[in-house]
Order: sequence, then C-alpha cells, then structure tokens
Amino acid sequence: MRTYLFRRILLMIPVVLGVTVVVFLIIHLAPGDPVLLLVGERAPQEVYDRVRHVWGLDRPLIMQYFTFLGNVLRGNLGMSIQMRRPVAELLAGAIPVTMELGFAAMAMAVFIGVISGVISAVRAGSAADQVTMVGALLGVSVPGFWLGQLLILLFAVHLQWLPVSGYGGLKYLILPALAMGFADSAVTARTTRSSMLDVIRQDFVRTARAKGLGERVVIYKHALRNAMLPVVTLIGLDLGYLLGGTVVMEEVFSRPGMGRLMINGILSRDYPVVQGVLLILAISVALCNLLADIAYVLLDPRIRLQ
Amino acid sequence: MSKRKTWHLMLAAVVVAALLVLTLSAGCAKNQAAGPGSEKPRKGGNLTIGVDRETDTFDLYQMTWSAGQAYVYDTLITRDWNYKYAPGLAETWESTPDGKTWTFHLKKGVKWQDGTPFTSKDVKKHFEVMLDPKTAAANVLDYTWIKSMETPDDNTIVFKLDAPFPNLLFKIGQSYGAIQSPAAYAKYGPNGTKEYGTKIAVGTGPLKLKEWVPGDRIVLERNNDYNWGAPWLDNKGPFYLDTLTYRVIPDSSTRVAELETGNVQVLLDVPVEHYDRVSKMPNVQVFKQPAFGLGYLAFGTANKPFNNPKVREAINLAIDREAIAKAVFFNLVQPAYGYLPPGLAESYEDKNAMRYDVAAAKKLLAEAGYQNGFKTTLATQNRTEHVRAAQALQPMLEAIGIKAEIVQYDEAGYKSFLKSGKQQLFMRQYSWDNADILQWFLESRQAPYPGHSLWKDNKTDQLIATAENAVTPDIRTQKYIELEKYLIDQAVWAPLWYPMSIQAVRTDLVGGYRAYPGGGDVFNDVWLKKATK
Repeated sequence: MRTYLFRRILLMIPVVLGVTVVVFLIIHLAPGDPVLLLVGERAPQEVYDRVRHVWGLDRPLIMQYFTFLGNVLRGNLGMSIQMRRPVAELLAGAIPVTMELGFAAMAMAVFIGVISGVISAVRAGSAADQVTMVGALLGVSVPGFWLGQLLILLFAVHLQWLPVSGYGGLKYLILPALAMGFADSAVTARTTRSSMLDVIRQDFVRTARAKGLGERVVIYKHALRNAMLPVVTLIGLDLGYLLGGTVVMEEVFSRPGMGRLMINGILSRDYPVVQGVLLILAISVALCNLLADIAYVLLDPRIRLQ
Repeated sequence: MSKRKTWHLMLAAVVVAALLVLTLSAGCAKNQAAGPGSEKPRKGGNLTIGVDRETDTFDLYQMTWSAGQAYVYDTLITRDWNYKYAPGLAETWESTPDGKTWTFHLKKGVKWQDGTPFTSKDVKKHFEVMLDPKTAAANVLDYTWIKSMETPDDNTIVFKLDAPFPNLLFKIGQSYGAIQSPAAYAKYGPNGTKEYGTKIAVGTGPLKLKEWVPGDRIVLERNNDYNWGAPWLDNKGPFYLDTLTYRVIPDSSTRVAELETGNVQVLLDVPVEHYDRVSKMPNVQVFKQPAFGLGYLAFGTANKPFNNPKVREAINLAIDREAIAKAVFFNLVQPAYGYLPPGLAESYEDKNAMRYDVAAAKKLLAEAGYQNGFKTTLATQNRTEHVRAAQALQPMLEAIGIKAEIVQYDEAGYKSFLKSGKQQLFMRQYSWDNADILQWFLESRQAPYPGHSLWKDNKTDQLIATAENAVTPDIRTQKYIELEKYLIDQAVWAPLWYPMSIQAVRTDLVGGYRAYPGGGDVFNDVWLKKATK
C-alpha cells in the first residue's frame, strides 16, 4: 500500500507539470493584454511600457514559464496583476469557500443519489422507480444556474427562509449546494441503480436471502457494498468536477471562491491567478482520484493495489 | 391502496408541486414591505450597496475604476447638486488673467485619517509623486499641465502653468485627482510594505478603509474627526452611517433579489432588463436620469472602405436610432445625434445629418463606388446591450447592401483587438463628463490606442488645441462645438444612444438619499431608518 501510494504520488508530478505547461500556454496565447486593463485607457505609452516591464511581461514566454515554475517550487505563486495581492493569499481566502460548497454539494449528491438509486433498483419498475428516474432526468437536464435562480426566488425572496447570496455559515450553503448537487445526485442515482440491479441478481445475494437474512441487511450490507465500486469511481471523478463546477454557482450565489477567482483571472488575463488556481485544481483532482483508488480497496478486499 | 402506493403518490405530488411553485415564482416575484421609519436622521448602522465589480485599488495613482474612493479621499474642489464647481479641501481659488497661475486656499483644521495635519506641502508632494515617471501613474496625462508648484504657507498651494488650461478645475475635481497621504504612500507604497491601496489607504475623507475581502466586499467606516464637508452637503460632519459596504454581486438577477429582500439597500446601476421588476417593487424608489456618456458605432477610419467619408455618412443615414433605443434599451436611453451627452455645455446635435433615410444612404454608398454594397465585420465587446445593439444594426446595414458579420470579444480581447488597428465597424460606449473625451479618442497622436477610430486629421488637432488652451471656459465651449460640427460633417462616428443612470434605493430602510447629476452617488447625508441585516 505504501509503495503504491508513493508511486501514485510520483505519477502525479508529470500530470501536474503537464497541466501547468498547457495552462500557461493557453492563457498566454489567448488574445488580450493584462497591462491594457491594468493601466486603463488614459495611460500614456511610457506608463504602459514601464508596467509591462515591472511585471516581466516583456520577456520571452519560455523565460516567463521557468520563472513561474521556479517560484512555484519555492512555494511562491506570484502576485496577482489585477488584484495586487499575493496569489497564495487570494487562494487561502478562496479555497475554503469553494471546498465547503464542493463537499456540501457532493454530500448532498451522494446522500440523495445513493438512497434514491437503491430504492429505485430494489423496486425496479414501481412508481417510486419511475418518479426517481424522472427526477434524475430533470436533474441532468435542468441547468444549475437556472435552478439556482429559482431556488433564490422561492426560498430567499418569497419565503425568506434563507439568504439570497454570500457566504459565512450553513444557511448560506444550503441553496448553492442544492442547486449544484441536484444534477450530480441524478447521475449518482442512475449509476447506483444500474449497479445495484446487476448485483442484486447475483448468486451471493440469493445465498444471503436463502440464509434467512433480513432484506435490509441483504440490500445495505451485502449488495450495496459491492454495487458501490462504480459509484465510488464516479464520486472520485465528480469531486474534481464539483470543485471546478463551483464556477457557475459562485457567480450566481456571489461566493468569493476559486471559481470566481478563476473567472476574474481569465477575463482580466491575470496570468498568475489563473495559473495558481488551475495548479491547485489539478492537484485536487489528482488527489481525489487517488482517494477513489484507495476507497476501492476498502470496499472490496479482493482488489490489491499492486 | 397500499401504504407504499400512497407514499409514492405523495412523493410525486410533492415533486410536481415544488416544480410548479419554483416555475411560477420566476414570473411573479412579490415583495416584502417594511413599515415606514423615522424621517429624522439617526446615527449608526451599515448600508450595503450591491455592485457588479469592485474597484481595482485604493491607490489613486493606479486606480482605473472608482467605487468608494470618493469617501476615503477628498478633492480640492467638488461639484454641487447642480454640478457646479464648489469648495472641497480648497475653500476658495483664483487664477491670474492670463490663466497661467492658479492659487488654491485650503481649509484649516483638516486632518489625515492617521491623525496628522493636512497641509499644502502634502498636496505638492502628492502631485510630484504622481508626475514622477517611476510612479507610472495611470492618469498622469491629466496633470501634465502642472509645470511647478509653490506653497507660500501651509494653507496655500499655487499651480504654475506654461499655457492657459480652462479645464483645470475639472481635472482637479476628478476622483483620481483627490489627495492621498504622501507619508502613508512612502511607508506602505511600492517602496515600502506594498500594502497601500489594498490594505491601507489614508485620505482626509469621511470614511476610512476598514476591510477589503477581494471579490466579496469592501467595508468603509466612519471617520469621526471629519467636519470639513463641502458646503452644499446638509451633513458637513461625520457620516450618519457607521459603515458603508460595497458588496460584489456579479449576477444582476441576484443583485436585484438582494435589493428585494433588503440585504442590499442601494443599487447604483440597475440593468435595463430588470428596470420593470425593480420599479414595481414597493419601498423601492428608482432614480432615473441621463448619464454622462455615449454609445456609438465607430469606424476604423484608416481602413478601407471606412476611409471614405461618404461610406461613413451613408451608414449614419442607414441607422434608425429610435428603433435601437426602443428595441434594445426599452426606451431607457435617448437616441443620440451628437458626440457629447446633452448634459454638457459643449453638447451639439445635428438630427438632419443623422436622420433615418435609407434612400439617401444608398445613393451616397453608390457615389462612394459601393453600389452593390460590401462585406465587413462589426466587432463588439460581449456586453449584453452592445451585442444586442450590434444585432439591431445588422439588418439596417444590410438594407443598404452592407453585410456585417458580428465578432464578439471579452474586455481584454477587445482592447487588444482595437489596439491592433485592424478594426472596421465596432461598438463603443464611453462614460465621461467632459468634452476632452473627443481629444482623448480623436486627436491624431492618440491613434491607434486609445484613438481606436484611427482618426488622424490636422484640422481636428488644431480645433482641439485651440479649445484646450483657450483662456476662458466659454471660448473652450465654442471651440468644442465648432469641432463637433466638423466631426459630424466628416461622419467620424455614428452616435447611437445616450445612456441613462438607473439607481434603486430601499426607501423603507434608507433616508436622505438624493440623485446626484450623471448617476453619481453621495452618501454623506444618508442615514438608516432601521437596522439592516
């Protein structure tokens, strides 16, 4: 296990490095000049040139990349061009905001998705199954930003149970987590259902029933554990997606997280910010996949990580 | 019916009912109204303003977007409710008859927010730092008229000029022309701890920078020492409010919902698509007035075929400006027939030159050698109203044979595109309250950026120089009107609309708010009728 983990972590290095190269190239090759935005339209050419030099943007791209990489290795993510603050400081403020939403949405997606998937599978063809699957279809079809606006109108404007937007506690988390988790719960429900349908028809489930075990024990202890493998893979992939997917929800619910930081960074061609955010996202996604692999072993002892 | 089936039916009913309520709620938002409060100003509380973007910095040398700086810093002179120049940090001022020496007499007893006294030496040092090339001040060109400064005593600053400059008061009164503490800048600026503008800002204004959470909020708190407010304010002393918060809410629907629930009490820029909803909210007063600005279709005048004035003139005649105002802006703008907004003394309109006359447009295009029309591109920034205006222009241009393909850019991409000089037709909007915007965009030396129209013309340069160096403001106004007539004759732009400022205030929560000319904001006289959330 230790060797496996070590090898996986080593493999993450080229992946993350590759991401930095691609991101660096894409953001620098996109049309747009951060200095034009920084100095505004009223600045003379001399001011423009000076600011460009101060930020090192007049140097060849390859040199800029290696400077960035060297700084990252020393733990320095650079300064935001537009926000004039260290990128690490901006990330330190934004990461908790995004993580709490990402994990809350994930928890909601897993809770709703797994329960409804199991119910749907156990009672395949019943009204409950059909309602769940119609709900799942709605979940994947309804755009998150639109659902977010509807939730705001109902729960914040009409009923005034919850705040419209912002962050700072559980009450600020419920609506965005619901809007974000809804689509994902639908996918989780469908995956759980099909996986469960496969498993509950297998011999060991029949044996468990023949032993006289209660239906609840058969479903939740024997069948569900085996059916969870594809669901765990999905959750592992989704966690990365959810962290990236907060972009839209952070805009709708006005949460100052990584998504907002990245959008503002892209729009203002704030290279250090975009590179910093995507570096953290790439590491997070790689780690989430590693966690999913470890979860396989815990769920199914037959799987050996070697 | 079994228990299970009953449960299924109930579940289905709940899901359907929830979806129905959600959908209906999108169309018929209702308001929660609070009762009226006291009309006598009361002290305390926090007022929250919803904004779509935050300022870039509180360092006045680097600032390009103003939101809140006007309360942290004071200017030497201010503009009153009628937009006339009025005292600010300077109580009085005078200039010599030749217009080359301006003397400002500063108020006594003014203190910086760090408690040190404010003197004329601070003003001199502030402008010296701004003019220093090492500072790379974004707005330095607006102050290059300063040739030297003298400080005969602590309360007098004298500006010496090489040539008369009638626009001096305007420049001195700009928000980025306010005075920031040179001592604080030296300590916390680029040569110090590098915190100036983001964490530290020291001015003489009625509010102090308390907290700035990037991307979320800027909180300004009351400066209790303040008692040197401008004479046109009712409240010349400290703010009634404890704090004033600028909350960044990028999504316009969310901003409006926050106003509706009262979490935000003021919106300074209501998008036109939400005007109807906001104006129907009880307890919300909408302040609608002309803003200082112009939306226009510009031409890359150095590029074919737009280097031909007949082509530009033809396009001017092919545009139905009233239709654009109605279809794109729901009549929440005014159709534009001039280059400067009507609120300015220099404003001049020529409705005949910009009448909607397709036949005359076709004739002119044929005279220019394009009887079969031509293909071109119409570039625009991806701002909703600009894209929609471009879409409205497309069939109008097609009616005279011009097939324009719309190309969209984000802000950064658009600026770079315009700097490249490859533009043909492109959408622009400026927000500015002075005739020198024409100098900014149309003087030859400004091409290609910010002179995106690529207009290089000796007569224009001459007229601008005469206007900007006129001895009196009246002569300057006459010269600018002369310039506008010439520009209209040359059809350098196709003016489209004058924007409106739409602000919304929760009057059940907020007292003392008044509309300021051009859509500006003044919160010195504002108080909260009751505690806000």
